[in-house]
Amino acid sequence: MKWRYILLCMVGVTAGLTFSAIAQERANSTASSSAEAPAPTQGMPAAPPSAMAKSAADGAENGAQRLEGEKRFRTNCGRCHQTPHKFPPRVMATAIRHMRVRAMITDEDMRLILRYMTQ
Amino acid sequence: MPDVQAATANLIPRLRICHGRGGSLPHRSTPPFLLCGSAVLLAVLLSILFAFPAGAQAPPNEEVKPVPLLTGSTGFITTFDGGEPHLHPIVTPLVLVPIGGRWIFETRATFETDMVQLPGRSAFHGTVAKEFEYVQLDFIANPYITVTVGRFLTPFGIFNERLYPVWIRNLQSDPLILPIGIGPSNASTGVMLRGGFRADPKFNINYAVYFSVLSTASPVNSDRFAGGRLGIFVPAARLEIGGSFQHGLQDERSNAFGFHALWQPPILPLDIRSEYARSIVGRGYWVEAAYRLSQVPFLQNELRRAQVVARMQQFFAGENASDALLPMNTKQFEFGLNYYFIDGLKASSSYGRQFSTDGNKNVWTMSLTYRFVVPLGHARSE
Repeated sequence: MKWRYILLCMVGVTAGLTFSAIAQERANSTASSSAEAPAPTQGMPAAPPSAMAKSAADGAENGAQRLEGEKRFRTNCGRCHQTPHKFPPRVMATAIRHMRVRAMITDEDMRLILRYMTQ
Repeated sequence: MPDVQAATANLIPRLRICHGRGGSLPHRSTPPFLLCGSAVLLAVLLSILFAFPAGAQAPPNEEVKPVPLLTGSTGFITTFDGGEPHLHPIVTPLVLVPIGGRWIFETRATFETDMVQLPGRSAFHGTVAKEFEYVQLDFIANPYITVTVGRFLTPFGIFNERLYPVWIRNLQSDPLILPIGIGPSNASTGVMLRGGFRADPKFNINYAVYFSVLSTASPVNSDRFAGGRLGIFVPAARLEIGGSFQHGLQDERSNAFGFHALWQPPILPLDIRSEYARSIVGRGYWVEAAYRLSQVPFLQNELRRAQVVARMQQFFAGENASDALLPMNTKQFEFGLNYYFIDGLKASSSYGRQFSTDGNKNVWTMSLTYRFVVPLGHARSE
């Protein structure tokens, strides 16, 4: 009987936490989708269209790599331990090489995580 | 007193008791230095072999020059095991020395003691146990293969190699099946090939194959065996499953195998981990779930640092006895609460109930653990 009660309590707590988590996720996604886009800066000199396009492309690529790096960081590092804060770049370079051996993360993951963690 | 030792090995989870194997040496055992020499020779040959194909590729694109590190963890663990208090301070320094673009030397030691109250004496007493857990040199030959030589943590299952440090583990007690397949002192001496690579856009494969020689030099003893582990990781589902196999090359020449799984549902801060292991010394499993309370909609500043954990495990004693395992069938349930003050500093508490034919008992644990990182050089400048 004790085990039944323990199991029932665990199931109840888990169900409650799951529902609250889903509700929280929905609230967050609604808030982020309804957020306004940043207004264009006024009073700044206009850059040439080609330079603007290049810098926009670079920015988009950096942003995409950063997002991918963060995603890989959370996916790989979080498998075993709480994701750590950022360390100085040279420390991260050693740690990521160690984790490449220990956690057997892939070469691509290592590069993206290192880039994200050292930016 | 083998029963007492076996029981203590699990009830005092952190303290590893390394027993010399001199009494049970096989007649055909080769002197350790010869086997070590063979292993080193094999490793050098493998390194040369794999270095040539790697030469055509660019070295790992580490734009930042790595710096040697002193890292590791320290902790103070208090256990009430069946009413008997144990005080257990532990320090586990880890030194990482990157060499060039492809090598890394790593070594981890443990200094720990299990202090108990002795009959007729006041205060707590214990002796400090010192152990080199691993001393290994890794060569990243190419994106698919890393060659490791020296003394390394046996890659059987996931707990020993990836979840063992006190700052990582969710519950401070060891799983009952931990000693299965990892050797007499949790490590192997020899050579290992390992790696992880993207096999398909949807999943990665990681693997480790190793050969360990017999070493009787306590506390760095190891058994003679060969084995491997294979895992498949699906990043989108954050799911990893895998299996381990090991074949003994001494004594009974027995086999051991196991399975493991890790899952982190993408929409929940939940970790689910599980292992199963089987050998002639016993079999069993553990299943652990840890939920970080970061999505609870109230007291978010406090609760996002808290984590509730539960673990169920069962062990069935095998036909051959092992000093490191419990001598009887045992079932144990534990649950606990972890609180992360800052990155690396964690307080834990747990309660467990152990059921066995030897009697049932409660196991309470409280601990404070800290993970430190000290660069041995200029950390910011290149």
